[in-house]
Amino acid sequence: MANINLKLREIEVKVVYYGPGRCGKTTNLEYIFKTFRKQVTGQMVSANTEGDRTLYFDFLPMGLGKVKGYDVRVQLYTVPGQVKYGATRRMVLREVDGVVFVADSMDVRREKNMLSLKDLHQNLKGYGLSIFKIPLVLQYNKRDLGEQGIPLMPIGQMERDLNRQLKVPSFPASAVKGEGVGPTLKACLKLTLQSLKQQMGW
Amino acid sequence: MDVKKEIKSLLNQAEVYKSQGLFREALEKYIRSGKLIQKHQKVISNHKSLLNSLAKKVRAVKEDIQRFESIPLNQEMPESVLNIIKQKFAVKKEGIEGELEGAVALAKFGQYERALDEFKQLVKNETVGVDAAKNIIRCHMALDSVEEGVKHYRHWCESGVFVPEHVENIRRFFQERIDRKKLDIQLQASPGVGSLQDIEPVPPRKEDEEVREEDLIDITTVVIALKEGRSREFDVSFQSGTLINLLLSDKDTQTLEQMEEGLVLENVQFFSPIAMFEGKARVESKSQIDSGPKMGYYSVDLKIMSI
Repeated sequence: MANINLKLREIEVKVVYYGPGRCGKTTNLEYIFKTFRKQVTGQMVSANTEGDRTLYFDFLPMGLGKVKGYDVRVQLYTVPGQVKYGATRRMVLREVDGVVFVADSMDVRREKNMLSLKDLHQNLKGYGLSIFKIPLVLQYNKRDLGEQGIPLMPIGQMERDLNRQLKVPSFPASAVKGEGVGPTLKACLKLTLQSLKQQMGW
Repeated sequence: MDVKKEIKSLLNQAEVYKSQGLFREALEKYIRSGKLIQKHQKVISNHKSLLNSLAKKVRAVKEDIQRFESIPLNQEMPESVLNIIKQKFAVKKEGIEGELEGAVALAKFGQYERALDEFKQLVKNETVGVDAAKNIIRCHMALDSVEEGVKHYRHWCESGVFVPEHVENIRRFFQERIDRKKLDIQLQASPGVGSLQDIEPVPPRKEDEEVREEDLIDITTVVIALKEGRSREFDVSFQSGTLINLLLSDKDTQTLEQMEEGLVLENVQFFSPIAMFEGKARVESKSQIDSGPKMGYYSVDLKIMSI
Protein backbone atom coordinates (compact mmCIF):
# COMPACT_ATOMS: atom_id res chain seq x y z
CA MET A 1 0.00 0.00 0.00
CA ALA A 2 1.11 3.54 -0.70
CA ASN A 3 3.16 5.28 1.95
CA ILE A 4 0.91 7.87 3.57
CA ASN A 5 2.27 10.61 5.80
CA LEU A 6 -0.72 12.05 7.60
CA LYS A 7 1.33 14.75 9.28
CA LEU A 8 2.79 16.15 6.08
CA ARG A 9 -0.32 15.18 4.08
CA GLU A 10 1.77 13.34 1.55
CA ILE A 11 1.16 10.12 -0.32
CA GLU A 12 4.04 8.25 -1.90
CA VAL A 13 3.07 5.89 -4.69
CA LYS A 14 5.50 3.38 -6.12
CA VAL A 15 5.28 2.27 -9.76
CA VAL A 16 7.70 -0.35 -11.03
CA TYR A 17 8.64 -0.95 -14.65
CA TYR A 18 9.16 -4.69 -15.01
CA GLY A 19 10.13 -6.85 -17.97
CA PRO A 20 12.86 -8.97 -19.52
CA GLY A 21 16.41 -7.72 -19.96
CA ARG A 22 16.92 -5.12 -22.69
CA CYS A 23 13.19 -4.62 -23.29
CA GLY A 24 13.39 -0.84 -22.83
CA LYS A 25 12.41 -0.16 -19.22
CA THR A 26 15.18 2.37 -18.68
CA THR A 27 14.44 3.96 -22.07
CA ASN A 28 10.86 4.53 -20.89
CA LEU A 29 12.09 6.34 -17.78
CA GLU A 30 14.63 8.35 -19.74
CA TYR A 31 11.90 9.56 -22.07
CA ILE A 32 9.62 10.43 -19.14
CA PHE A 33 12.47 12.30 -17.49
CA LYS A 34 13.10 14.33 -20.65
CA THR A 35 9.48 14.95 -21.56
CA PHE A 36 7.43 15.29 -18.38
CA ARG A 37 9.54 18.14 -16.99
CA LYS A 38 6.64 19.70 -15.09
CA GLN A 39 5.87 16.54 -13.19
CA VAL A 40 9.44 15.35 -12.63
CA THR A 41 10.58 16.54 -9.22
CA GLY A 42 14.19 15.38 -9.11
CA GLN A 43 17.03 13.77 -10.97
CA MET A 44 16.78 10.35 -12.56
CA VAL A 45 19.17 8.03 -10.77
CA SER A 46 20.58 4.98 -12.53
CA ALA A 47 23.16 2.35 -11.77
CA ASN A 48 24.20 0.70 -14.98
CA THR A 49 26.88 -1.79 -15.82
CA GLU A 50 29.05 -1.96 -18.87
CA GLY A 51 26.84 -2.28 -21.93
CA ASP A 52 24.22 -0.05 -20.35
CA ARG A 53 22.41 -2.80 -18.52
CA THR A 54 20.55 -1.84 -15.38
CA LEU A 55 22.42 -3.27 -12.45
CA TYR A 56 20.18 -2.39 -9.51
CA PHE A 57 17.38 -0.06 -10.53
CA ASP A 58 16.57 3.29 -12.06
CA PHE A 59 14.66 5.80 -9.99
CA LEU A 60 12.66 8.81 -11.06
CA PRO A 61 10.56 10.94 -8.69
CA MET A 62 7.44 12.70 -9.94
CA GLY A 63 4.68 14.83 -8.46
CA LEU A 64 1.05 14.56 -9.46
CA GLY A 65 -0.32 17.50 -7.52
CA LYS A 66 -3.00 17.23 -4.84
CA VAL A 67 -5.70 14.63 -4.35
CA LYS A 68 -8.11 15.26 -1.46
CA GLY A 69 -5.62 17.69 0.02
CA TYR A 70 -2.78 15.17 -0.11
CA ASP A 71 0.33 15.84 -2.12
CA VAL A 72 0.70 12.76 -4.35
CA ARG A 73 4.29 11.82 -5.11
CA VAL A 74 5.08 9.06 -7.55
CA GLN A 75 8.30 7.13 -7.56
CA LEU A 76 9.07 5.31 -10.76
CA TYR A 77 11.50 2.42 -10.59
CA THR A 78 12.83 -0.06 -13.09
CA VAL A 79 14.13 -3.48 -12.15
CA PRO A 80 17.18 -5.18 -13.65
CA GLY A 81 15.73 -7.53 -16.24
CA GLN A 82 18.42 -10.16 -16.39
CA VAL A 83 17.55 -13.44 -14.74
CA LYS A 84 20.55 -13.37 -12.40
CA TYR A 85 19.32 -10.24 -10.62
CA GLY A 86 16.25 -11.93 -9.15
CA ALA A 87 17.02 -10.84 -5.59
CA THR A 88 17.24 -7.19 -6.62
CA ARG A 89 13.97 -7.44 -8.55
CA ARG A 90 12.25 -8.75 -5.44
CA MET A 91 13.70 -5.96 -3.34
CA VAL A 92 12.60 -3.26 -5.78
CA LEU A 93 9.08 -4.69 -5.94
CA ARG A 94 8.61 -4.31 -2.19
CA GLU A 95 5.56 -2.13 -1.42
CA VAL A 96 4.78 -1.64 -5.09
CA ASP A 97 1.49 0.10 -5.91
CA GLY A 98 1.41 -0.21 -9.70
CA VAL A 99 3.31 -2.09 -12.37
CA VAL A 100 4.13 -1.41 -16.01
CA PHE A 101 5.18 -4.63 -17.69
CA VAL A 102 7.33 -3.80 -20.71
CA ALA A 103 7.36 -6.63 -23.22
CA ASP A 104 9.79 -6.82 -26.13
CA SER A 105 7.96 -7.10 -29.45
CA MET A 106 10.82 -8.91 -31.16
CA ASP A 107 9.97 -12.46 -32.16
CA VAL A 108 13.19 -13.77 -30.63
CA ARG A 109 12.20 -12.44 -27.20
CA ARG A 110 8.81 -14.15 -27.01
CA GLU A 111 9.83 -16.70 -24.41
CA LYS A 112 11.73 -14.11 -22.34
CA ASN A 113 8.58 -12.00 -22.11
CA MET A 114 6.55 -14.90 -20.83
CA LEU A 115 9.20 -15.94 -18.33
CA SER A 116 9.51 -12.41 -17.02
CA LEU A 117 5.75 -12.09 -16.57
CA LYS A 118 5.76 -15.37 -14.66
CA ASP A 119 8.62 -14.04 -12.54
CA LEU A 120 6.58 -10.92 -11.79
CA HIS A 121 3.63 -13.10 -10.77
CA GLN A 122 5.82 -15.14 -8.40
CA ASN A 123 7.50 -12.11 -6.88
CA LEU A 124 4.21 -10.32 -6.28
CA LYS A 125 2.88 -13.46 -4.65
CA GLY A 126 5.89 -13.43 -2.35
CA TYR A 127 4.61 -10.09 -1.04
CA GLY A 128 1.05 -11.34 -0.73
CA LEU A 129 0.00 -9.46 -3.88
CA SER A 130 -1.88 -10.84 -6.85
CA ILE A 131 -0.95 -10.05 -10.43
CA PHE A 132 -4.67 -10.13 -11.17
CA LYS A 133 -5.46 -7.44 -8.62
CA ILE A 134 -2.53 -5.05 -8.69
CA PRO A 135 -2.81 -2.02 -11.00
CA LEU A 136 -0.99 -3.29 -14.09
CA VAL A 137 -0.58 -2.24 -17.69
CA LEU A 138 1.33 -3.91 -20.48
CA GLN A 139 3.50 -2.17 -23.02
CA TYR A 140 4.53 -3.85 -26.26
CA ASN A 141 7.75 -2.03 -26.93
CA LYS A 142 10.11 -1.74 -29.91
CA ARG A 143 7.34 -1.62 -32.52
CA ASP A 144 9.66 0.62 -34.59
CA LEU A 145 12.06 -2.24 -35.25
CA GLY A 146 9.70 -3.70 -37.85
CA GLU A 147 10.83 -0.88 -40.14
CA GLN A 148 14.37 -2.19 -39.85
CA GLY A 149 13.37 -5.65 -41.07
CA ILE A 150 13.27 -7.26 -37.64
CA PRO A 151 10.58 -9.93 -37.22
CA LEU A 152 8.08 -8.67 -34.65
CA MET A 153 5.21 -10.46 -33.00
CA PRO A 154 1.79 -9.18 -34.08
CA ILE A 155 -0.03 -7.36 -31.27
CA GLY A 156 -2.71 -10.08 -31.33
CA GLN A 157 -0.14 -12.72 -30.57
CA MET A 158 1.34 -10.67 -27.71
CA GLU A 159 -2.14 -10.20 -26.31
CA ARG A 160 -2.70 -13.95 -26.43
CA ASP A 161 0.70 -14.69 -24.90
CA LEU A 162 0.63 -12.15 -22.12
CA ASN A 163 -2.79 -10.64 -21.66
CA ARG A 164 -5.24 -13.47 -22.24
CA GLN A 165 -5.95 -13.93 -18.55
CA LEU A 166 -4.89 -10.58 -17.19
CA LYS A 167 -7.08 -8.50 -19.50
CA VAL A 168 -5.34 -5.26 -18.52
CA PRO A 169 -4.79 -2.15 -20.67
CA SER A 170 -2.00 -2.63 -23.20
CA PHE A 171 -0.12 -0.22 -25.43
CA PRO A 172 2.11 -0.62 -28.46
CA ALA A 173 5.17 1.56 -28.04
CA SER A 174 8.54 2.64 -29.26
CA ALA A 175 10.21 3.97 -26.14
CA VAL A 176 13.26 5.06 -28.10
CA LYS A 177 11.01 7.37 -30.14
CA GLY A 178 8.79 8.19 -27.20
CA GLU A 179 5.73 6.65 -28.82
CA GLY A 180 3.31 5.03 -26.37
CA VAL A 181 5.40 5.95 -23.32
CA GLY A 182 3.07 8.66 -22.04
CA PRO A 183 -0.17 6.70 -22.55
CA THR A 184 1.35 3.68 -20.79
CA LEU A 185 2.39 5.72 -17.77
CA LYS A 186 -0.89 7.63 -17.63
CA ALA A 187 -2.92 4.41 -17.74
CA CYS A 188 -0.86 2.88 -14.96
CA LEU A 189 -1.11 6.00 -12.80
CA LYS A 190 -4.87 6.15 -13.38
CA LEU A 191 -5.30 2.55 -12.23
CA THR A 192 -2.93 3.06 -9.31
CA LEU A 193 -4.73 6.17 -8.08
CA GLN A 194 -8.12 4.47 -8.47
CA SER A 195 -6.84 1.62 -6.33
CA LEU A 196 -5.42 4.07 -3.81
CA LYS A 197 -8.75 5.89 -3.56
CA GLN A 198 -10.48 2.58 -2.96
CA GLN A 199 -8.02 1.65 -0.24
CA MET A 200 -8.42 5.04 1.40
CA GLY A 201 -12.19 4.83 1.19
CA TRP A 202 -12.39 8.06 -0.82
CA MET B 1 13.35 -16.18 -50.43
CA ASP B 2 16.38 -15.56 -52.59
CA VAL B 3 19.36 -16.93 -50.66
CA LYS B 4 21.36 -13.72 -50.92
CA LYS B 5 18.41 -11.74 -49.57
CA GLU B 6 17.99 -14.26 -46.79
CA ILE B 7 21.66 -13.94 -45.77
CA LYS B 8 21.41 -10.18 -45.91
CA SER B 9 18.29 -10.27 -43.73
CA LEU B 10 19.97 -12.55 -41.18
CA LEU B 11 23.03 -10.32 -41.01
CA ASN B 12 20.84 -7.28 -40.61
CA GLN B 13 18.97 -8.95 -37.75
CA ALA B 14 22.25 -9.94 -36.12
CA GLU B 15 23.51 -6.36 -36.26
CA VAL B 16 20.29 -4.99 -34.77
CA TYR B 17 20.27 -7.60 -31.99
CA LYS B 18 23.88 -6.77 -31.23
CA SER B 19 23.09 -3.07 -31.08
CA GLN B 20 20.26 -3.92 -28.67
CA GLY B 21 22.68 -5.82 -26.44
CA LEU B 22 21.05 -9.14 -27.31
CA PHE B 23 24.32 -10.93 -27.95
CA ARG B 24 23.05 -14.51 -27.92
CA GLU B 25 20.37 -13.70 -30.46
CA ALA B 26 22.99 -11.94 -32.61
CA LEU B 27 25.33 -14.92 -32.39
CA GLU B 28 22.58 -17.29 -33.48
CA LYS B 29 21.87 -15.17 -36.58
CA TYR B 30 25.56 -14.87 -37.46
CA ILE B 31 25.94 -18.63 -37.22
CA ARG B 32 22.84 -19.26 -39.31
CA SER B 33 24.02 -16.86 -42.01
CA GLY B 34 27.46 -18.53 -41.98
CA LYS B 35 25.86 -21.92 -42.55
CA LEU B 36 23.80 -20.55 -45.42
CA ILE B 37 26.89 -18.99 -47.05
CA GLN B 38 28.75 -22.29 -46.80
CA LYS B 39 25.81 -24.21 -48.23
CA HIS B 40 25.44 -21.88 -51.20
CA GLN B 41 29.07 -20.93 -51.80
CA LYS B 42 28.78 -21.77 -55.48
CA VAL B 43 26.38 -18.90 -56.05
CA ILE B 44 28.13 -16.48 -53.70
CA SER B 45 31.25 -15.27 -55.41
CA ASN B 46 32.75 -13.50 -52.36
CA HIS B 47 31.90 -16.30 -49.91
CA LYS B 48 35.47 -16.51 -48.57
CA SER B 49 35.69 -12.90 -47.57
CA LEU B 50 32.15 -13.04 -46.18
CA LEU B 51 33.00 -16.07 -44.05
CA ASN B 52 36.19 -14.39 -42.80
CA SER B 53 34.28 -11.31 -41.83
CA LEU B 54 31.61 -13.43 -40.16
CA ALA B 55 34.20 -15.36 -38.16
CA LYS B 56 35.49 -12.04 -36.78
CA LYS B 57 31.96 -10.96 -35.85
CA VAL B 58 31.26 -14.29 -34.15
CA ARG B 59 34.49 -13.99 -32.15
CA ALA B 60 33.63 -10.44 -31.13
CA VAL B 61 30.11 -11.28 -30.05
CA LYS B 62 31.34 -14.31 -28.09
CA GLU B 63 33.73 -12.00 -26.29
CA ASP B 64 30.83 -9.68 -25.54
CA ILE B 65 28.86 -12.58 -24.07
CA GLN B 66 31.80 -13.67 -21.95
CA ARG B 67 32.51 -10.18 -20.71
CA PHE B 68 28.89 -9.58 -19.94
CA GLU B 69 28.46 -12.86 -18.08
CA SER B 70 31.52 -12.29 -15.96
CA ILE B 71 30.17 -9.04 -14.50
CA PRO B 72 29.94 -9.70 -10.76
CA LEU B 73 26.50 -9.67 -9.17
CA ASN B 74 27.36 -7.06 -6.60
CA GLN B 75 29.25 -3.98 -7.60
CA GLU B 76 29.97 -0.78 -5.85
CA MET B 77 27.07 1.60 -6.30
CA PRO B 78 27.23 5.32 -6.87
CA GLU B 79 26.47 7.45 -3.80
CA SER B 80 23.17 8.59 -5.32
CA VAL B 81 21.93 5.01 -5.54
CA LEU B 82 23.11 4.19 -2.02
CA ASN B 83 21.20 7.17 -0.68
CA ILE B 84 18.01 6.08 -2.41
CA ILE B 85 18.35 2.58 -1.00
CA LYS B 86 18.77 3.97 2.50
CA GLN B 87 15.88 6.41 2.15
CA LYS B 88 13.42 4.33 0.21
CA PHE B 89 14.07 0.72 1.15
CA ALA B 90 14.44 1.06 4.90
CA VAL B 91 11.51 -0.50 6.77
CA LYS B 92 11.60 2.31 9.31
CA LYS B 93 12.60 5.69 8.05
CA GLU B 94 13.09 7.92 11.04
CA GLY B 95 15.42 8.22 13.99
CA ILE B 96 18.19 5.87 14.96
CA GLU B 97 16.09 2.87 13.96
CA GLY B 98 15.73 4.41 10.53
CA GLU B 99 19.52 4.64 10.32
CA LEU B 100 19.83 0.99 11.26
CA GLU B 101 17.17 -0.05 8.74
CA GLY B 102 18.89 2.04 6.07
CA ALA B 103 22.08 0.09 6.66
CA VAL B 104 20.12 -3.18 6.62
CA ALA B 105 18.68 -2.16 3.24
CA LEU B 106 22.22 -1.60 1.93
CA ALA B 107 23.17 -5.10 3.06
CA LYS B 108 20.08 -6.55 1.39
CA PHE B 109 21.29 -5.00 -1.87
CA GLY B 110 24.65 -6.69 -1.37
CA GLN B 111 26.44 -3.47 -0.37
CA TYR B 112 28.08 -5.17 2.61
CA GLU B 113 31.17 -3.00 2.88
CA ARG B 114 29.18 0.20 2.94
CA ALA B 115 26.63 -1.35 5.32
CA LEU B 116 29.48 -2.40 7.63
CA ASP B 117 30.70 1.18 7.84
CA GLU B 118 27.24 2.26 8.97
CA PHE B 119 26.69 -0.61 11.41
CA LYS B 120 30.05 0.14 13.04
CA GLN B 121 28.84 3.68 13.73
CA LEU B 122 25.66 2.32 15.29
CA VAL B 123 27.20 -0.30 17.57
CA LYS B 124 27.75 2.21 20.34
CA ASN B 125 24.13 3.27 20.34
CA GLU B 126 22.16 1.97 23.30
CA THR B 127 18.93 1.35 21.37
CA VAL B 128 20.20 -0.37 18.26
CA GLY B 129 23.74 -1.41 19.27
CA VAL B 130 23.00 -5.13 19.62
CA ASP B 131 21.13 -5.24 16.31
CA ALA B 132 23.99 -3.37 14.64
CA ALA B 133 26.48 -5.89 16.06
CA LYS B 134 24.42 -8.81 14.77
CA ASN B 135 24.26 -7.18 11.38
CA ILE B 136 28.02 -6.74 11.37
CA ILE B 137 28.23 -10.48 11.88
CA ARG B 138 25.68 -11.11 9.10
CA CYS B 139 27.74 -8.98 6.72
CA HIS B 140 30.97 -10.80 7.57
CA MET B 141 29.25 -14.16 7.12
CA ALA B 142 27.99 -13.00 3.71
CA LEU B 143 31.44 -11.72 2.77
CA ASP B 144 33.08 -14.96 3.96
CA SER B 145 35.22 -12.91 6.30
CA VAL B 146 34.27 -14.73 9.51
CA GLU B 147 37.67 -13.99 11.08
CA GLU B 148 36.89 -10.28 10.86
CA GLY B 149 33.62 -10.97 12.63
CA VAL B 150 35.49 -12.84 15.36
CA LYS B 151 37.81 -9.84 15.79
CA HIS B 152 34.78 -7.60 16.28
CA TYR B 153 33.29 -10.03 18.77
CA ARG B 154 36.53 -10.10 20.78
CA HIS B 155 36.62 -6.33 20.77
CA TRP B 156 33.04 -6.18 22.07
CA CYS B 157 33.95 -8.67 24.81
CA GLU B 158 36.92 -6.63 25.94
CA SER B 159 35.84 -3.05 25.35
CA GLY B 160 32.79 -3.03 27.59
CA VAL B 161 30.69 -1.49 24.86
CA PHE B 162 27.99 -4.06 25.71
CA VAL B 163 26.78 -5.42 29.04
CA PRO B 164 27.59 -9.16 29.52
CA GLU B 165 24.00 -10.23 28.74
CA HIS B 166 24.18 -8.52 25.37
CA VAL B 167 27.61 -9.96 24.61
CA GLU B 168 26.21 -13.40 25.37
CA ASN B 169 23.22 -12.74 23.14
CA ILE B 170 25.57 -11.76 20.31
CA ARG B 171 27.84 -14.77 21.00
CA ARG B 172 24.93 -17.22 20.68
CA PHE B 173 23.78 -15.54 17.50
CA PHE B 174 27.27 -15.67 16.00
CA GLN B 175 28.11 -19.19 17.18
CA GLU B 176 24.90 -20.53 15.67
CA ARG B 177 25.85 -19.11 12.29
CA ILE B 178 29.41 -20.42 12.59
CA ASP B 179 28.04 -23.88 13.40
CA ARG B 180 25.65 -23.75 10.46
CA LYS B 181 28.64 -23.12 8.20
CA LYS B 182 30.39 -26.04 9.90
CA LEU B 183 33.40 -23.88 10.77
CA ASP B 184 35.74 -25.00 13.52
CA ILE B 185 35.47 -21.86 15.64
CA GLN B 186 34.33 -21.74 19.26
CA LEU B 187 33.64 -18.26 20.56
CA GLN B 188 34.70 -17.63 24.12
CA ALA B 189 32.06 -16.16 26.35
CA SER B 190 32.71 -12.71 27.72
CA PRO B 191 34.49 -12.87 31.14
CA GLY B 192 31.45 -11.40 32.89
CA VAL B 193 29.12 -13.99 31.45
CA GLY B 194 30.30 -17.08 33.35
CA SER B 195 27.80 -16.75 36.14
CA LEU B 196 25.09 -15.82 33.73
CA GLN B 197 25.61 -19.02 31.79
CA ASP B 198 25.36 -21.02 35.00
CA ILE B 199 21.95 -19.51 35.63
CA GLU B 200 20.81 -19.63 32.03
CA PRO B 201 22.34 -22.65 30.31
CA VAL B 202 22.06 -22.61 26.56
CA PRO B 203 19.90 -25.57 25.58
CA PRO B 204 20.84 -27.56 22.52
CA ARG B 205 18.78 -26.55 19.52
CA LYS B 206 16.10 -29.09 18.70
CA GLU B 207 14.28 -29.53 15.42
CA ASP B 208 10.97 -28.51 16.89
CA GLU B 209 12.23 -25.78 19.17
CA GLU B 210 10.22 -22.61 18.78
CA VAL B 211 11.69 -20.09 16.40
CA ARG B 212 13.75 -17.31 17.93
CA GLU B 213 12.59 -13.83 17.04
CA GLU B 214 15.99 -12.72 15.86
CA ASP B 215 16.05 -15.50 13.26
CA LEU B 216 12.78 -14.49 11.70
CA ILE B 217 12.23 -12.42 8.63
CA ASP B 218 9.07 -10.64 7.49
CA ILE B 219 6.23 -12.96 6.62
CA THR B 220 3.76 -11.50 4.16
CA THR B 221 1.41 -14.40 3.47
CA VAL B 222 0.61 -17.76 5.00
CA VAL B 223 -1.05 -20.79 3.46
CA ILE B 224 -2.73 -23.04 5.98
CA ALA B 225 -3.78 -26.63 5.28
CA LEU B 226 -7.22 -27.20 6.76
CA LYS B 227 -8.65 -30.49 8.04
CA GLU B 228 -10.67 -31.41 4.96
CA GLY B 229 -7.56 -31.20 2.82
CA ARG B 230 -8.08 -27.77 1.28
CA SER B 231 -5.65 -24.90 1.77
CA ARG B 232 -6.41 -21.27 2.52
CA GLU B 233 -4.14 -18.32 1.86
CA PHE B 234 -4.13 -15.32 4.19
CA ASP B 235 -2.28 -12.03 4.08
CA VAL B 236 -0.46 -11.20 7.30
CA SER B 237 -1.96 -8.00 8.68
CA PHE B 238 0.93 -7.40 11.04
CA GLN B 239 3.86 -9.24 12.55
CA SER B 240 5.66 -8.84 15.81
CA GLY B 241 8.59 -11.20 16.02
CA THR B 242 7.24 -14.75 15.84
CA LEU B 243 3.66 -13.64 16.29
CA ILE B 244 1.68 -12.98 13.14
CA ASN B 245 -1.83 -11.63 12.91
CA LEU B 246 -4.43 -12.60 10.33
CA LEU B 247 -7.81 -11.04 9.70
CA LEU B 248 -10.55 -13.54 8.84
CA SER B 249 -13.96 -12.61 7.60
CA ASP B 250 -16.80 -13.72 9.87
CA LYS B 251 -18.29 -15.36 6.76
CA ASP B 252 -15.36 -17.78 6.65
CA THR B 253 -17.06 -20.01 9.20
CA GLN B 254 -15.34 -23.24 8.18
CA THR B 255 -11.88 -21.80 8.80
CA LEU B 256 -12.94 -19.96 11.96
CA GLU B 257 -14.41 -23.11 13.49
CA GLN B 258 -11.10 -24.89 13.06
CA MET B 259 -8.98 -22.06 14.40
CA GLU B 260 -9.38 -22.98 18.04
CA GLU B 261 -6.95 -21.41 20.48
CA GLY B 262 -4.05 -23.78 21.17
CA LEU B 263 -4.50 -25.67 17.88
CA VAL B 264 -1.16 -26.53 16.27
CA LEU B 265 -1.25 -26.09 12.51
CA GLU B 266 1.17 -28.68 11.18
CA ASN B 267 1.52 -27.67 7.54
CA VAL B 268 1.86 -23.95 7.17
CA GLN B 269 3.62 -22.25 4.27
CA PHE B 270 5.17 -18.94 5.24
CA PHE B 271 5.86 -16.58 2.35
CA SER B 272 8.51 -13.94 2.89
CA PRO B 273 9.86 -11.45 0.36
CA ILE B 274 12.83 -13.75 -0.12
CA ALA B 275 11.46 -17.25 -0.10
CA MET B 276 8.76 -19.63 1.03
CA PHE B 277 9.26 -21.69 4.18
CA GLU B 278 7.27 -24.56 5.56
CA GLY B 279 6.66 -24.96 9.24
CA LYS B 280 4.29 -25.12 12.16
CA ALA B 281 2.27 -22.49 13.94
CA ARG B 282 0.00 -22.43 16.98
CA VAL B 283 -3.25 -20.47 17.26
CA GLU B 284 -2.56 -18.14 20.17
CA SER B 285 -5.76 -16.16 20.21
CA LYS B 286 -8.91 -15.50 18.26
CA SER B 287 -11.19 -12.55 18.88
CA GLN B 288 -13.88 -10.71 16.98
CA ILE B 289 -13.20 -7.06 16.10
CA ASP B 290 -16.01 -4.91 17.48
CA SER B 291 -15.23 -1.53 15.95
CA GLY B 292 -13.54 0.16 13.01
CA PRO B 293 -13.52 -0.69 9.31
CA LYS B 294 -12.92 -4.39 9.99
CA MET B 295 -15.75 -4.69 12.51
CA GLY B 296 -17.10 -8.25 12.55
CA TYR B 297 -13.85 -9.76 11.27
CA TYR B 298 -11.86 -12.11 13.46
CA SER B 299 -8.35 -11.27 14.51
CA VAL B 300 -6.31 -14.47 14.77
CA ASP B 301 -2.81 -14.50 16.24
CA LEU B 302 -0.51 -17.32 15.17
CA LYS B 303 2.72 -18.11 16.96
CA ILE B 304 5.36 -19.45 14.57
CA MET B 305 6.75 -22.62 16.13
CA SER B 306 9.11 -23.78 13.44
CA ILE B 307 10.11 -22.57 10.04
